[in-house]
Amino acid sequence: MAIRTPSQTIGPFFHVGLKWEAGEKVAFESPGGRVILTGRVHDGAGNPSADALIETWQAGPDGRAPVPGSAARVTGYSRAATDADGRYTIETVMPGACTGADGKKLPPQIHVTIFARGLLKALRTRVFLAEPAAIKGDPLARAAGPRVGTLIALRDAKDSGTWRWDVRFQGKDETAFIEI
Amino acid sequence: MSARDRIDIDPPYDYPAYKSTILRSPKQPLLRVAPHPMEATGPVFPRKFVTDSEADLTTWGKGAPLGEKMILTGRVTDEDGAPVRNSLLELWQCNSSGRYAHPVDQHDAPLDPNFLGQGKVLTGDKGEYRFVTIKPGAYPWKNHPWAWRPAHIHLSLFGNAYSQRLVTQLFFPGDPLLPIDPIFNSVPDESARQRMVCELDLEHGIEEVALGYRFDIVLRGVKSTPMGV
Ligand SMILES: [Fe+3]
Repeated sequence: MAIRTPSQTIGPFFHVGLKWEAGEKVAFESPGGRVILTGRVHDGAGNPSADALIETWQAGPDGRAPVPGSAARVTGYSRAATDADGRYTIETVMPGACTGADGKKLPPQIHVTIFARGLLKALRTRVFLAEPAAIKGDPLARAAGPRVGTLIALRDAKDSGTWRWDVRFQGKDETAFIEI
Repeated sequence: MSARDRIDIDPPYDYPAYKSTILRSPKQPLLRVAPHPMEATGPVFPRKFVTDSEADLTTWGKGAPLGEKMILTGRVTDEDGAPVRNSLLELWQCNSSGRYAHPVDQHDAPLDPNFLGQGKVLTGDKGEYRFVTIKPGAYPWKNHPWAWRPAHIHLSLFGNAYSQRLVTQLFFPGDPLLPIDPIFNSVPDESARQRMVCELDLEHGIEEVALGYRFDIVLRGVKSTPMGV
């Protein structure tokens, strides 16, 4: 078996190569309920991380992997760099329920890959767009145990289509990252 | 546990010689959880996502960029040797004097009006790819006294599954800065480090115009799962 190519940091200048036209807007062939996922990325000192890149991958509203569209765009995938306040914003649709290996339906979740200066390899996790009661049986929610709160996006009180989710690399509420 | 798991291929998160890791490396162990079905799938990039001209970084401006022209070719495969076809490969780099076309780069080296340092391609049927560019310069980066990054090219790959996603850097053979670069040396295993060093490949160069360099990239297998899950 060949030795894999190792991961290296994205560095602070990734915008030069990784900018996509409307990259923060997730495209799908079929429309679904509009969702904004937004939040901030913080380092271990609580400072905003202004040079992180958030990428998301998710099922379509039907719970299936997105099918390639006819446009020159990629479907189901997004990419958003954080701004000076460490804020990212992704515009997407509510992912449908996927079927897990055991045949059970999985609650709506978005796969997240985080790159940044200072990260020698990407951090991976998933964020739930559901009430805590609705994710109890999910394998990731169970694995996260008391840290599951770091993986649940909170619905905005004024705008029900907006979900807030912060990422913390370290500290008291360190985000639960997963091995992939 | 398979053979590859016994070698530390990827660097650790916590690597204090690279100072930015100190406040950004997670302190809790990563969770091990059964793979989600979406991890074995991945985005499909339409052919129209890239244009042919994006493979040649030397034709972006009104004239030729300064520096040593080079042709970078290679193949993308997975650990089992299977070609990774029709997959997005993005590239970015500084110019020949070590300066990025980026507002945050404060290095006192000149910008090149004919060089942006951005390219992308989709791999072919055998996983092959080809870029035309110029050799990037070394640059200082304030991490420690005499911190100068060896010449490198940043590469981003999607593979054919979400779990294959990789961002890495390409280095040049014989660079005297390699032994003192904490980012290169964050990879613990020597043979894994050598995976990030390209080879002079005259066969794919153009005589008296551009040197050829070869860089093959190996992604993890689609079916590999975290240990113990
Ligand atoms: Fe760099």
